[in-house]
Amino acid sequence: MPEATLTAGAPPAAGRTRARRTSRHGSNVWAHVLLATGGLVMVFPFVWQLLTSLSTNAQVMSVPPVFWPGELQWGNYAEVFAKLPFLQEFWVSVSITVVRTVGQLVLCSMAGYAFARMRFPLRGMLLALVLSILMVPSQVYLIPQYQIVNGLGWLNTVAGIAAPGIFSAFGTFLMMQFFRGVPDSLEEAARLDGANPFQVFVRVMLPLAGPSLGALTIITVLWSWNDLLWPLIVSTRAESMPLAAGIATFAGRTTTDYTVMMAASVLAMAPILLLFVVMQRRVIDGLAHSGLK
Amino acid sequence: MTSVDRSPRAGDGVASPARGSTPSPPVAQAGGPRRSRRRHDGWWPVLFVLPTMVGVVVFYLWPIVQTGYFSFTEWGAFGGQTWVGTENYVRLANDPDLGTAVVNTLVYTAIVLLGIPIAMVVASLLSRPGMRFTAFYRVLFFMPYVAMPTAVAMVWRLIFNGDFGILNWLLGLVGIDGPAWTSTPGFALVAVSVVGLWTSLGFAVIILSAGLRNIPPELYEAASLDGATAWRQFRSVTVPLLTPSVFFVTVITVINGFQLFDLLYALMGQANPAIQQTQSLVYLFYNEAFLRNDKGFAAAIAMVILLIVGAVTLLQFRMQRRWVTYA
Amino acid sequence: MKHLLRSASLAGVAAVALTLSACGGGDDAADDGAAVAPTDAQAEITYAIWDENQKPAIDQNIKDFNEKYPGIKVTVDLTPYQQYFTKLQTQGESRTLPDVFWMNGPNVQLYAANDLLEPITGLVESGDVDPSKYPEALNELYSFDGAQYGVPKDFDTVALWYNTALFEQAGVDLPTDDWTWDDFTAAASTISDELADQGVYGVVTELNGGGQSSYYDTILQAGGHVISDDGKSSGYDDPASIEGLRLWADLVADGASPTVQQLSDTKPNVWFNSGKAAMFWSGNWSVAEMKDSPNKDDFGTVRLPEGPERRATVIHGLANVVAADSANKEAANAFLAYLGSEEAQRTQAEMGVANPAYTGTQQAFVDSVPSFGIDVFLESADEMSFPYPISQHTAAWNALENELLPQAFSGERPVEDVAQELADAMDAELAKE
Repeated sequence: MPEATLTAGAPPAAGRTRARRTSRHGSNVWAHVLLATGGLVMVFPFVWQLLTSLSTNAQVMSVPPVFWPGELQWGNYAEVFAKLPFLQEFWVSVSITVVRTVGQLVLCSMAGYAFARMRFPLRGMLLALVLSILMVPSQVYLIPQYQIVNGLGWLNTVAGIAAPGIFSAFGTFLMMQFFRGVPDSLEEAARLDGANPFQVFVRVMLPLAGPSLGALTIITVLWSWNDLLWPLIVSTRAESMPLAAGIATFAGRTTTDYTVMMAASVLAMAPILLLFVVMQRRVIDGLAHSGLK
Repeated sequence: MTSVDRSPRAGDGVASPARGSTPSPPVAQAGGPRRSRRRHDGWWPVLFVLPTMVGVVVFYLWPIVQTGYFSFTEWGAFGGQTWVGTENYVRLANDPDLGTAVVNTLVYTAIVLLGIPIAMVVASLLSRPGMRFTAFYRVLFFMPYVAMPTAVAMVWRLIFNGDFGILNWLLGLVGIDGPAWTSTPGFALVAVSVVGLWTSLGFAVIILSAGLRNIPPELYEAASLDGATAWRQFRSVTVPLLTPSVFFVTVITVINGFQLFDLLYALMGQANPAIQQTQSLVYLFYNEAFLRNDKGFAAAIAMVILLIVGAVTLLQFRMQRRWVTYA
Repeated sequence: MKHLLRSASLAGVAAVALTLSACGGGDDAADDGAAVAPTDAQAEITYAIWDENQKPAIDQNIKDFNEKYPGIKVTVDLTPYQQYFTKLQTQGESRTLPDVFWMNGPNVQLYAANDLLEPITGLVESGDVDPSKYPEALNELYSFDGAQYGVPKDFDTVALWYNTALFEQAGVDLPTDDWTWDDFTAAASTISDELADQGVYGVVTELNGGGQSSYYDTILQAGGHVISDDGKSSGYDDPASIEGLRLWADLVADGASPTVQQLSDTKPNVWFNSGKAAMFWSGNWSVAEMKDSPNKDDFGTVRLPEGPERRATVIHGLANVVAADSANKEAANAFLAYLGSEEAQRTQAEMGVANPAYTGTQQAFVDSVPSFGIDVFLESADEMSFPYPISQHTAAWNALENELLPQAFSGERPVEDVAQELADAMDAELAKE
């Protein structure tokens, strides 16, 4: 690493000499070169995906590769729409995602608040138990969770699809981290005014938690949007298949048609990528809060 | 995660004058002025925590307990368990696939962890004074984290394709004859790990950027005044103060690394000639539970995964005192 | 059905078959299965399938079924093949299987042995299902311990697909129905030498994901077997079986076929479809895909070449089955019987989605794609077909095949050594059943 890179950690600080500042600006060129190169590598698969989705299969299989397909094959997208009930699956994905996200926001913020700011017996142990579930891969839960959902009579219901996913150890932890950092004075002022803990939570704490709730929303939306197996297994209706599963079916159907598969995968990712690009500032600020602090 | 075993919050021990107004919880006298606010929480915590606890116990903890029990049984193909004692564990200990899976999982995790130093560089570059287009760069780096794994795996398979892939064409330009990346033992693990790194890099960049932003500028000024060089500043200010963020990212990366499955499955498929040499711990579990129908044995694998991840995470928390600095 | 092949690992010999006649014995009257519902029955049932391509034909089947049974509502549950059996297993654990669902050869004994499937004995006795209308090998495939559990839906056999343009470019005579292994390997070798600069190979087939269109056939052609008739021991150590494996190892070593890795990166159907391979061993499930290929005008099919011992292809097909725990068994049976009927299977054939099992309806499928000469698949079924190898835990030793055989095909280890190791490991799995 060149030395110029290393200094970079320093945020803009007052009191630096003019000479230094100039040298810093000069070296930003290198920073741009590095970042642009890295960014290109990061974004290349998406570009390649987009280009492939607009090519012919013969172009995909040609050596040397065809970088620009010439005549763009929009027909690949038309074929996806013809073969995949895209809008229907899109709405299934949206509704599953909304239910799970709302559920997590409510449950995780409440539990996180209690773990952070309340005192009760076994608090440490309960917290450790909640966090321990992070360490088990989700595949392990598959059959037991199905049996429980079945036992509850929740197969083929929204509750069944949402149930395991609205409880989140990570979300609870995230919210707890946030609530730990809130100064006591705010809470106490509210209590002085006669608010009960629930009122304090709703009126004082939640409004402060915007960025963390944002981060939680993002993480849950991402996970839910991309989750394929669980909705597929608890629901036995073809019309309740979410987009991720629809794409998997589509890909499983033929391994030949690379270009149409790519078009389908572009369409599956597009909603979430667009949402991200539009919301990027909030997403990133929100996630930044999920770290420590 | 660091705060989990951090010292008590600043607010601890501050007497709360509010206690009198708390609506009649059926519990407890205030013990004394010092901790009284906490005591007065009474039954409220139950209201807040119970829904989550019930869900966690029913949908997660109970299945883990069940899995623990099943690991000592042999399953009929569709239920019906026979107690077999530690037989599954003995078999597992003698199964060469376990060693392969552990090593593969470790290699994968190690390669993905290489993303952290890379992310540090990127985060430092992004927070340089006068740096422009940072939002744009952050979007570029974060996009893979957002993308749908099933969809992304499809394009990576094309890129890695041994005969028609663009990667091998590029390598060919410099005279290297590339392998069939996702189907050749050894290379397949590298390919999977690279995609794993690519996916998770953006997350680390964001967290580390936030960590950098929280370093007080005065520290740099002070270091400057003391005549510290840029390298010296980086080493004695940036690095130590970034360690909490690094720690957080490391813990998350390791936990995720040990759960490698979806990516491997999507990139390689189950009929891949290299899968046996490339399988991860969770793949091993999935293979036994769902393909070979040996769910008792699979339960033993699940318990081993839980133990390993638990031990590694605990170790990380123990070790953090040696290298993580809190401002 | 095509997914059967790709999905790794599905294989197995219909060993049991011998013990039972298709018409099932009435030795277990209590377990004959429920009767068929009356036409005015009211019920809701679920029908689970995995191939989206077939959904239109199935929707049509349901519509026709409802003309007779207006009160039975059938909901289709479509699950991608990759997740289909994971889901079925999860449902099986909880006894919540769909009322009627698709079953394949490798899995049928597992479900039958665990009492999850309803035998069709009662339907046969009442005349609602007539097994003699389906190929015998399929009835055998879906029979276990003296009872038949599935009504055949469709079937596939394997043939040699070829690309005339590539043969002409290489100056090699087109394949015929009378080819032998020698003709085949010579042609494959010549073509890959002649057209090497275009990256064209002589032959491709599936070598990683089950042997239905490759080594299962050549093992039979060489006079070997994959699993013994009683389903208790492996046939991989039979010298004839080893010869059947060696054919593919030699083709790979010669460069006439892409390597196992290449075939995993780029699937065999892709090589052939895109004109990068002159020959392709595959079944009638490829018809739907190849008729949309840009090279479709160059494609044709002939019988598989004759091996040292005989002509042979494995035959496999899907069946519809009814869950033993179905709450609406009579309605499910009525639907099952309808799906097995001539009318329903003709609909499927006419819509060109699958080669139906019901004798006499297949011509409609052949006519749906006239150009490839696909009656060869029917002829092969009649004249040279052998049941697909299965046992109770087929998947367990399929996994071993996928694990070990690539080492033989890649030339990494001698074929005999790998075959012996596979036979031993497979015997150990079979002993556990």
